[in-house]
Amino acid sequence: MSTFYALVKKELRSVSREKTIMIAIIIQLFIASFSSVILTGLMSYYDPDSIAYSTRVGIKVGIVGDGGSPLMGLLTERNVDVATYPSPLDAENAFKLGTLDAVAFIPQDNGGPVDMKLFLPRSETRSTVILMILKEPLRRYEDTLRKNRGVQVKYSDLNGTPSTTYEFRYAFIVPLLLMFFPAFLAGSMVIDSVSQELEDHTLDTLWAAPLSLNQILGAKIVGGLFLSIVQGALWSLLLRVNGICIQNLGPVLLLAAVITAMIAVVSAFISACFRDRERSQFVYSLFMAISTGMSYFFGTSPITLMTRLATGDRYAGIADVATYGLVLLALLVAFFSVAERLIRMES
Amino acid sequence: MGSRFRGSSRSAVVLILAGSLVVSYLVSQQGVVLGRGIYRVGVSPDSPEIHDKRFSAMTLVPSKGYSMLNQKTIDLYLDGDKAALRNDARSLYAAGALKRYLERQELARIKDEYEIDRAFPLRVELNYIENVTMDQETSLRELLAPVTAKTPEPMEADSGALDESGARPTPRPRQSQQQETQRDSDSAVRQQIREMERGGRWPKIEMEFASDKEIIIPSLMTPPIPFAQVMIAFLYVLPVFFVSIFFTSSFMDEKTDGRIAVLMSAPVTPFEIIAGKMLPYATFSLASVMIITLLLKGNLLLAMAIFIPVLFFVFSIYLMVPLTYRTFRDTTFISMLAIVVITSYLVFPAMFSGVNDLCYISPLTLAVKMYRGEPFGPKEYLFSTVPMYLVFALSMYVGTRILNEEYLMRFRPLYRKVAEAIYLAIDRSHPNLSIMLLSLFLIPIVYMIQLVAVALSFNMPISYAVGGLLLATAMIEEMAKSVGIAVLLEKGVVSTPRHLLALSFLSAAGFLIGEKLLLYLSLTVVTESTLSAALFSYGMLLIPLTAHFAFTAIVCFTTRRSGVRYYPFAVFIGSTAHALYNLCVLGVIP
Repeated sequence: MSTFYALVKKELRSVSREKTIMIAIIIQLFIASFSSVILTGLMSYYDPDSIAYSTRVGIKVGIVGDGGSPLMGLLTERNVDVATYPSPLDAENAFKLGTLDAVAFIPQDNGGPVDMKLFLPRSETRSTVILMILKEPLRRYEDTLRKNRGVQVKYSDLNGTPSTTYEFRYAFIVPLLLMFFPAFLAGSMVIDSVSQELEDHTLDTLWAAPLSLNQILGAKIVGGLFLSIVQGALWSLLLRVNGICIQNLGPVLLLAAVITAMIAVVSAFISACFRDRERSQFVYSLFMAISTGMSYFFGTSPITLMTRLATGDRYAGIADVATYGLVLLALLVAFFSVAERLIRMES
Repeated sequence: MGSRFRGSSRSAVVLILAGSLVVSYLVSQQGVVLGRGIYRVGVSPDSPEIHDKRFSAMTLVPSKGYSMLNQKTIDLYLDGDKAALRNDARSLYAAGALKRYLERQELARIKDEYEIDRAFPLRVELNYIENVTMDQETSLRELLAPVTAKTPEPMEADSGALDESGARPTPRPRQSQQQETQRDSDSAVRQQIREMERGGRWPKIEMEFASDKEIIIPSLMTPPIPFAQVMIAFLYVLPVFFVSIFFTSSFMDEKTDGRIAVLMSAPVTPFEIIAGKMLPYATFSLASVMIITLLLKGNLLLAMAIFIPVLFFVFSIYLMVPLTYRTFRDTTFISMLAIVVITSYLVFPAMFSGVNDLCYISPLTLAVKMYRGEPFGPKEYLFSTVPMYLVFALSMYVGTRILNEEYLMRFRPLYRKVAEAIYLAIDRSHPNLSIMLLSLFLIPIVYMIQLVAVALSFNMPISYAVGGLLLATAMIEEMAKSVGIAVLLEKGVVSTPRHLLALSFLSAAGFLIGEKLLLYLSLTVVTESTLSAALFSYGMLLIPLTAHFAFTAIVCFTTRRSGVRYYPFAVFIGSTAHALYNLCVLGVIP
């Protein structure tokens, strides 16, 4: 066992000597420091409506037409400044002077379809933001008009918090940072380490020592795993600082470690099969892409489980993590029974 | 590249590629569900079924449902037309998500149960107008002329009442025109209903900017993705990254198995070796750029003009990686770091296109403009691409200088490698000129790092951010000006104070020339950014030159006095002075 520890230590030392771990941490800090910008950017990409919730921009809309429309009240409720203008010319002048962000023409509601006109600045970002802010009052106005026309819309009074940010954080950001990144790094580290030794033929010299090949490979896997656990813990701290709390932190990190170990085993297998680094890395990236893609089709994928654990679902717990633990065990047994033959066969 | 995949491994690769194709097909067919089963809701037997993968729903009788809701084992209970929830975050989010889902179901219902005029009574016509220029484009007044002409008339209100009772006998001339527009908006409603039925959960991506007129129905509206740039960026940049990783790998391979040493002893110049290795990969990337442009129906020549510098830039960074690093693991890490940094450099500014003119520092902004059919001038082009061309030129030059066996194979810490590279890059027969040119050519790199620093500072509290930024930018500048001289000091090429003074002056002058050129470029593009004013000191030429000279001299003489080992300390002293000077210029310190 002590030889095994020595091997793991050697693995870790080689990483720290070459400052790689520092770089990994720099990447982490770099991304974390951008996280608010990235979150806003990605969020608006995933759900453009989120701009309206997150923005604190106050806008001012000039109204031409029916000044008694219920829309006026709805706009004020959403903290939109409204100003009525007697003629389009006045509104246009105010718009060009920059005192207005948009101009709306509200026709009289005469029982038929209401054809509003909205004038927005020709700048994509600004007009998108304005439109997103105006969307909610417009929808409520639409519901008012429907009611006036005898159309009943159910559930319109259901009050909840817009959920996309929540979903995005726990279903995308959390699994990405706590599981995918560390696992991906660990996998490529194992590949680099194994294929470097295979290409340099240094494994032969190591073999001469009283070490089994499985011990050597195991140490590499454990080395990668160790780094990924450190990273996962760091990420969860950084997430905490950024206001994302993880429920069931223990099981969440354990799940990440189990999945990382599975990926590290698979990557050790890949590098033993393909031997040279470039091909191994290529196959490995494809493997990661496919398995991540595939996991979307299973109700009980690790990603889903992590989301459910992290949000505190009462129906997810350590037992689900244990299931993956069993899969890992099976993988380990299978890998270690073929690894020696695989490497000896070709060398 | 093809020869790398032979025999059994080739079939494995083909298999995996086929697998990935199948997966991407499945993903595109089913759509990606984020947060499968994230909410747990109970529904009463008479409630509508929930067909949304985000909800794991179970049918519960009300008594059980309410008690489970109180025990927090479910997030929400849907009892017929009513939803019961708790007042905690999880329950509120579930309600928010369910509301959105149910609203959609309701739309589908009312669309079938009522005629279109009643189900979708509000249509909003969007018009985009210039708010700055006063040219004779479509004006708000003209656009509103036909509708507003009639609104103030009291008769119109009467006819509205008539309309409601449905007893309007004879249409008047103006009415026909209104019906015209109604038919327009009706067809817009129908089209948007069709879009909704197709299940367009994903918002549409608009490559081209919204046409001048567009009719939206608030409840059916799928907002355009504001940052289509991100999409374009990834489409273009990802293949380039992929190919350049292969380039790095192959360089590393030749380095480790010693083939590069053989090449170097052959009668070819280092430039030919690097260019020869880069050419196939660069051609590949260029081809991918061209294919993407053709697929997106963009302007081929323009796209090439925009992306060739980007390609150069990416390759110049990936050229430096194998030249400086020795092991595969390091190259992997550094490549990942490079991807992160380059992507943020390219993508973040482009996100702000239209908000701030600084977005032009990324060529992707130009690509966005191109796809929207908006014009940009040669100044904007130069502003975003010149730094990239310069970085490429610099790295090609340095690459050819350091391409020797000793440098490539020796294992040393990174900062030693950099010092070594700078020493090799300096032409020893013309140290003065070299130092001046070095400062000048480091400008684009300084500029890029400073921009990254600006981006990083957004995350700090504002009081720390400004101070930290001032010091950081000063440090970067001082380092750029003095690093070459420090290397010469260490190697013993410079020793006399007089020579040191001369070199400090030349370095400051070189830096200033570069800075002013950049400033000129940025001021012509970025008209009103206070950021550029803060980043690049202004004023007359003489004062900044003296200042630059003084700070560089401080760094150099401190280094000379206390030894090269204390270079970081010397930089710190020089930069503190520089930052204080900047504060004075900005008027913070009187």
